[in-house]
Amino acid sequence: MTAKPHRRALRSVAVAAIGAFVLAGCASDDGGPVELTWYINPDNGGQTALAEQCSDASNGAYNISTSLLPRDAASQREQLARRLAAGDKTMDIMSLDPPFVPELAEPGFLATPPADVIERTTKDTLEGPALAAQWEGEYVTVPFFANTQVLFYRKSVAEAAGLDMSQPVTWQQIMDAAETQDKYLGVHGIQGESMTVWVNGLIESAGGSIVQGDAASAEGIQLGLDSEAGDKAAAIIGNIGDKGLGGPGISSQDESAAGVQFRGDKGSFMVNWPFVYPAAVAAAEEGSIDQSVIDDIAWTTWPRVDADTETAPPVGGINLGVGSDSQHQEEAWDAIECIVSPENQSSYMVSDGNPASSSVAYDDPEVQEAFPMSETIRESLDIAVPRPQTPYYNEVSTGIQQTWTPIYDVNENTPKESAEFITSVLNGEAML
Amino acid sequence: MSTTVEQRPAHKGKEAKAPVSDRTRGERRLGWMLAGPAFVVMLLVTMYPIVQALWDSLYSYRLTAPDDRSFVFLQNYMTVLGDPVFLSALLVTLFITVVTVAVELVIGFALALVMNSVLKTFRGVVRTAILVPYGIITVVSAFAWFYAFDINTGYVNTWFEWLPIIGPDFNWFGQQWSALFVIMASEIWKTTPFISLLLLAGLAQVPGELNEAAKVDGAGWWQRMYKVTLPSMKAAIMVAVVFRALDAFRIFDNVFIMTNGQYGTETLSLLAYRTSITRLEIGLGSAVSVILFLCVLLIAFVAIKVFKVDLAGGKG
Amino acid sequence: MTTKQKLGWAIAIVIVMIWSLFPVFSILMNSFKSNADLQSGGFLPSAFTWANYEMIFTGSARDLFLPALRNSIGISVIATALAVVLATLCAYAIARLDFRGKRIILVTALAVSMFPVVSIVTPLFNVWRQIGLYDTWLGLILPYLSLTLPISIWTLAAFFQQIPWDLERAAQVDGATSFQAFRKVIVPLAAPGVFTTAIIAFFIAWNDFVFGIGLTSTDAARPVPAALAFFTGASMFEDPAGAISAAAIVVTIPVIILVLAFQRQIVAGLTQGAVKG
Repeated sequence: MTAKPHRRALRSVAVAAIGAFVLAGCASDDGGPVELTWYINPDNGGQTALAEQCSDASNGAYNISTSLLPRDAASQREQLARRLAAGDKTMDIMSLDPPFVPELAEPGFLATPPADVIERTTKDTLEGPALAAQWEGEYVTVPFFANTQVLFYRKSVAEAAGLDMSQPVTWQQIMDAAETQDKYLGVHGIQGESMTVWVNGLIESAGGSIVQGDAASAEGIQLGLDSEAGDKAAAIIGNIGDKGLGGPGISSQDESAAGVQFRGDKGSFMVNWPFVYPAAVAAAEEGSIDQSVIDDIAWTTWPRVDADTETAPPVGGINLGVGSDSQHQEEAWDAIECIVSPENQSSYMVSDGNPASSSVAYDDPEVQEAFPMSETIRESLDIAVPRPQTPYYNEVSTGIQQTWTPIYDVNENTPKESAEFITSVLNGEAML
Repeated sequence: MSTTVEQRPAHKGKEAKAPVSDRTRGERRLGWMLAGPAFVVMLLVTMYPIVQALWDSLYSYRLTAPDDRSFVFLQNYMTVLGDPVFLSALLVTLFITVVTVAVELVIGFALALVMNSVLKTFRGVVRTAILVPYGIITVVSAFAWFYAFDINTGYVNTWFEWLPIIGPDFNWFGQQWSALFVIMASEIWKTTPFISLLLLAGLAQVPGELNEAAKVDGAGWWQRMYKVTLPSMKAAIMVAVVFRALDAFRIFDNVFIMTNGQYGTETLSLLAYRTSITRLEIGLGSAVSVILFLCVLLIAFVAIKVFKVDLAGGKG
Repeated sequence: MTTKQKLGWAIAIVIVMIWSLFPVFSILMNSFKSNADLQSGGFLPSAFTWANYEMIFTGSARDLFLPALRNSIGISVIATALAVVLATLCAYAIARLDFRGKRIILVTALAVSMFPVVSIVTPLFNVWRQIGLYDTWLGLILPYLSLTLPISIWTLAAFFQQIPWDLERAAQVDGATSFQAFRKVIVPLAAPGVFTTAIIAFFIAWNDFVFGIGLTSTDAARPVPAALAFFTGASMFEDPAGAISAAAIVVTIPVIILVLAFQRQIVAGLTQGAVKG
């Protein structure tokens, strides 16, 4: 380092490197057909492929470029809401997580879809996704793909525990099975959106609802957390936490971490979105897990809370919306119509593992072949119940996430405490 | 982030002292013409927003409900100051500040000693090594430490399995103390070079004769350190502590990346960010921002007035 | 020096090296691990793979990383250049001219450097979205100046104090025009200080995270540190640890190059002439 020429050489390398970086920075856009921007959530590249496909099919009417949103739903909402509030004119097409639709629809950030587009795009839509695309009884977005959680299980574990998986199982049953077999239960204990998904699924399965009353105003919201259904949910979550059934990493475990745990030695039962299955298959092909693990995996609908009451599985997915400040709304709706066609939904389901919102898409033999669980998914979507629809969803959800984690601290007081906490947050009396 | 400033621009060129009044006026105009743009830019991008924040903090204003904006005067401040979330964030922030500054002072001093007295041959190597954490992006440091400790991707649990508590099942980010430990480790690693460079500057100002004299008098290494070196470095140490404390009090990146404030690791900066940017509650968030600003102001004030730390150095 | 002392120094140097470089090495190793390897709990990869680098340069993370890299470089370089130009003028005035308000400028710079960045990001967001600077390069360059200007002014002012300005007049006496005197005598003396300041300012701009996530929302302006926080793995829900590690190494390379090439100047700049030579 002390030899002068040496240092000089390094110095010129540094300067050259920076110079090259700067030059690389000077890229420019070129014109052409109407440029549409589609803000997409991360996937396996399927939405980008659809963007190209529909651009080509438009015969030069429009060209869709995609812009990637962050990984988790809350950050996606944050980015979109801030851009919309900023009056961004490029919000042509947005992939929206359904729970956040009311918050964006209420202040008029979303353009109203033309009636004929709605008619053509929603005629085969399953009930759950259809509801999730509306706000106050009107379509404000177009359903694209739907998603639901199913119960994955390891056949070997279920067999050893003596569970008949052809019949609906309860949370109590799988908890007992995991405990006796000394395995981990695949749940999501991270302080994140997945926690709300879990709590909501349990409460809805027990016959309750997190949000009741006038969901449109902060003062009008009635919370159904402190109820019999809420107590049952707290008992299940608290029990799993208490006994450590979720595994050691439960406090920071999200959906993908649960998926990894499930395909390990300690996997038993797991509630999760279907994408974890293709991920496991890919891991087997890559050689990081054994094929026998894949053969051991099976699935059924979400577990019940009460043995005699039908379960209410979580529903998720993505709707497509158009920003009210978009300069190319007409082309955007045309593009959306192309994107959500049943054929595209089924090909997207095959390529990216995200289930279609259109019932027709499931009839595609390719879907049935690539997605052995497609029948379970369709069944689940039939009985699935969405998360609370309110412009204050973020407050409700974050409030739940903060009061229901870590799950080993959840007890019989949790529902009441969380209800009080969220109420005071909504009234502006407490901070999140 | 700032730098050592104990050496205030002091002596001026001789000509600048010429007592001609026309010349003085001309110089003043030229001085402001040259210095003005930088001055204006600094004011515009800091003072204007903080005044705006002060204004916004008096309103109940949510970005996604623009029509419900209403004047609430100090209501937001009452909500914030009386809230356990705020109190906990304040305590965590203070805790992080005190611990990191204390640890960094020790490590930083050791590094400064090494840099100061290492053989010329190795000086470059040592400096280079120490400058790497200084130059590295804080977010990168956060990820490096996070992945090392994380229960899924980390190796720390494997390495330190022989310790009590730690084992393959130990989740560092599952409870407050251990999560704060990793957050502070990353913060300390990244910012110690800064403090040690300030201390290095201080070391260079220790009069060599004094040390020599003490040596002749038979003082040992520790004695000389304690009696001569440290006292003559007092000013440099205080400046380093204040700058680092103000910086540590604003800690954000490490917490955001590692826990996002989960499990009792939220700091004031993160709370301000989450309230205004994530929750889009501009009014409430601005109140937190203003309070954060006042805290920093208070620390600086206490440092300057009570502890007489001469941050700007020298005379006016 | 005795053998014992030599050994002591060797140990001290090794400890400093490990302390300073280990975390970088740790994330470097992560960047060479396959996905399965990342979960194994080992420190070294069981097999080195370039897959993570492929992912960020040609694979699925490309659209997230490359624009962010372009933004980071562009914005940091421009912000650095602007800060250095403005600070040079300002510091020159402070060092050479006698005018009232000098003290105010220096104190303001000091105050701005202590400013909690988070406090101004919300109001800036509000103003930026109204005047169309939200999610643009300029929208980040301006706030970056609030980070880079104070330290640049202080560092340069100290550098300029040490320049023997009388040489300029001496050159003029020797027949040089004032411009020649400035160019031939002052510029070579001032250049190292300006250059060092530029490096320090670049580090600061390169490091920013709060403005990066607060004032951007797409790849139009999002810099690398902010993009890292939003990284995704090879598929939607896969852990992005490998890709993040690779990207982290890529953005650390310029830092390492600058540090390797200019460690002496950076240390001198940061300790402001306290360490001479």
